[in-house]
Amino acid sequence: MRRMTVLGAAVTALTLTVGVAMAAGASENKGKFYFKKTCKTCHTKGAAGGEVTPLTKTQEQWTRYFTKGVHKKGAEKLTDVVPAEQLPEIQLFLVNHAADSPQPETCG
Amino acid sequence: MEPVMSKAITRRTFMNGAATAAAAAALAPQLGCARFLRSKPAAAVETREVATACEVCPNKCAVMAVVEGGRIRKLNPNPASPKSRGMLCARGNAAVKAVYDPDRVKQPLIRAGARGEGKWRTATWDEAWDFAAKHLTEIKEKHGPEAVIWSSTEGFQEEFFKNLGLAYGSPNILRHPTLCLASVNLAYSMTFGTVPSFDLLNADYVIMSGANRFESIITPDTMDLIDSTMNRKARLVYLDPRFTVTASKADEWYPIRPGTDMAFILAMLNVIIGEERYDKEFVASACHGFEELRAHVQRFTPEWAAGETEIPAANIRRIAHEFADAAPRALYYAGRRSSWYSNDFQMRRAQAILNAIVGNWDREGGVVPNSKIALGEYLYLPWDEPTAARIDEMEERFPLAAKGDGVFLQARENVLAGKPYPVKGWMVYKQDPMSALPDRGRTQKMLEQMDFVAVIDTQMSDTAWFADVVFPESTYLERTDPLHMLPGIWPVVAIRQQVVPPIHDTKPNLEIVQGLAKRLELSDYFDYTIEQWLEEQAKELPIPNALEHLKRTGVYTAPGAPFYGSTRKPDHRFLTRSGKIELFSERLAEAGHDPLPAYTPPVQPPPGAFRLILGRKATHTHANSTNNVWLAEFAPSNDLWLNPLAADRLGVASGDLVEVRSDVGVVRLKARVTEEIRPDCVFMLHGFGKKSRTMRLAYDNGACDADVLVTAMDAVSGNAAFHETFVRVAKVGEAAGA
Repeated sequence: MRRMTVLGAAVTALTLTVGVAMAAGASENKGKFYFKKTCKTCHTKGAAGGEVTPLTKTQEQWTRYFTKGVHKKGAEKLTDVVPAEQLPEIQLFLVNHAADSPQPETCG
Repeated sequence: MEPVMSKAITRRTFMNGAATAAAAAALAPQLGCARFLRSKPAAAVETREVATACEVCPNKCAVMAVVEGGRIRKLNPNPASPKSRGMLCARGNAAVKAVYDPDRVKQPLIRAGARGEGKWRTATWDEAWDFAAKHLTEIKEKHGPEAVIWSSTEGFQEEFFKNLGLAYGSPNILRHPTLCLASVNLAYSMTFGTVPSFDLLNADYVIMSGANRFESIITPDTMDLIDSTMNRKARLVYLDPRFTVTASKADEWYPIRPGTDMAFILAMLNVIIGEERYDKEFVASACHGFEELRAHVQRFTPEWAAGETEIPAANIRRIAHEFADAAPRALYYAGRRSSWYSNDFQMRRAQAILNAIVGNWDREGGVVPNSKIALGEYLYLPWDEPTAARIDEMEERFPLAAKGDGVFLQARENVLAGKPYPVKGWMVYKQDPMSALPDRGRTQKMLEQMDFVAVIDTQMSDTAWFADVVFPESTYLERTDPLHMLPGIWPVVAIRQQVVPPIHDTKPNLEIVQGLAKRLELSDYFDYTIEQWLEEQAKELPIPNALEHLKRTGVYTAPGAPFYGSTRKPDHRFLTRSGKIELFSERLAEAGHDPLPAYTPPVQPPPGAFRLILGRKATHTHANSTNNVWLAEFAPSNDLWLNPLAADRLGVASGDLVEVRSDVGVVRLKARVTEEIRPDCVFMLHGFGKKSRTMRLAYDNGACDADVLVTAMDAVSGNAAFHETFVRVAKVGEAAGA
């Protein structure tokens, strides 16, 4: 319980200060956390969104995906499903561990 | 408080004293193997079996521990594991003695004398944690969090230690791979996008460059190889300057000139490509850069390689033919051995490329990508990323090396030079850099220039001997660890659960980390129990009550037979930049390295000097087990192998005491004159010559290779290169009875 409370407070705090964090450089560590916390809710094997890992795309494809900012083809924006402040961190994590990256990572 | 362990015990006094009543009393619990197994338990005691996973080497074999009356009676193999099957090696069996070793660290210790003097006082856990936290806080305030290095070796609880270092704010997490297999891992990753397994069980033709599998580590895949070569008559070609046990079982052994293995491989490529014996269809569909490779190897003829390797050209050509004919059930085996030369990465790349072009990838008897089993993950709170650059300057010097592992030798050299910033603290978990790094004198200097050193370990290692505080970790049989997935042709999830409660005042690493985190105000990042961690991990396993299943049986394995070929489908994308197997690597070229394996002849020893080569015995794990009384019965000490031609020149006979001198140090040990080594090399076993007087069997016993090894690194991976040392040998004493 205590963990969830602390977690919630921390996520809120991070969300509020992410602009500063980004100015100083996005955090891959936090990107991984947000990816698991937010994206993996739907994007696991057998779940509604289908499995997504950093290996799902190449570095260029991930970059293009986040630049476009569309969650589903022609439908909702990424910011409709992921807090805008989390996106740069998630992008950094996914690009750094993409299928053609020097350090590919399956990540759940 | 009375200092403990302050009395120096030399090896001589210990060995002499062993016959005396006093020493006999001190060693009373150290029963030899035969005596222990003959001893009878008390009648009518409770007996139970606990499934767990061995920790003595990286193989993680499954174990069934037999507990009688609260004491571990015996460790049996757990046949349910496809990783270890019905096997537990000598080291695995001897883990019982690590629990009941009287030389263990039994409670927290704080240094009471000069560093390395061996004077300690016992402390409470609170005292030890407060002491460490005070120093870590002071260093952080004065120099920044980057001024503390956090170094560790592989283990199920290593993650907690690394995470504490990161949460503290240090970028300087230093793991063991650059003292181990970093060059192999990087070379195969850069070629195939992953580090594969080698299907020794089903191979028909195996070539090994010095990976002494029949002698240096005995695991089930060793038995697979034995089965292949002895029963199925698979062919084994073995290259090694030394006649090892593996050489004795091979069909062909070549005492290759040290450092020229890549010339042999390049000549094989020359033959196989020149004579169009490669797998054309696979190369065309799955490989990138074949034409560049074809042009590159044209000049590396068997005749040229014969001059480099001292292996006849006709034999190289024949072996190339046989290898290509046996493919896909033919493989050039990569592991297990560390890096030997500063071109090790490129030599491994050449191996990987040879494997690729004969089309053995993902085929039975070939080189197979590892299967995995998904585990859940405990989602802990993320900390702020460390902001400082790494001390080892990886980004500039080794940009392709694994970011999370660091480059150990470069880190040490930069710490000693004080650049790019001062490092004043060293936290060590389950690792003994004093034994593992070449040039022990420089490692000791690194320790001595620290304001603070803490070690978490089960025993008083040489590094712990120079620490300020030692946190005693419970042995693996006394604690529960996170679940661990072991990827492979037969992947398995292993559980390591507590067999008996700690018999001394020791703790699992997680609790040690949590005690420190609390005092460093980092508790929020470590706010979980080991049980919560395990529950999250087990959630992903596709069976009901997975954790209970694991606790009962010790393992979870995927159902069905091993599957080959999933990565040979036309639409498969390899995890490389091009999406194919990279024979030619643009990424290497961009980093300033040769995009194809380029050969440079090794520097030869000057006249009168020898190349020092190292090796392991299956009865010891690196430098960690030489104080285990059972294992010491198998390999009590080390000696120096010397060819009779060289011995005659030096007037040395077997048993004589010799001095071995390199540019950085000198050691003394007994000589073994043998034809089982080339005349231009000498050999010693790793792991002996301990400085820690607390390790009474290992202290001052034989010679420590790290005393004479020079600092050399593989150019791409940063892996320590362990066979780049030249030594001179001189007789300094007669053999007993001579």
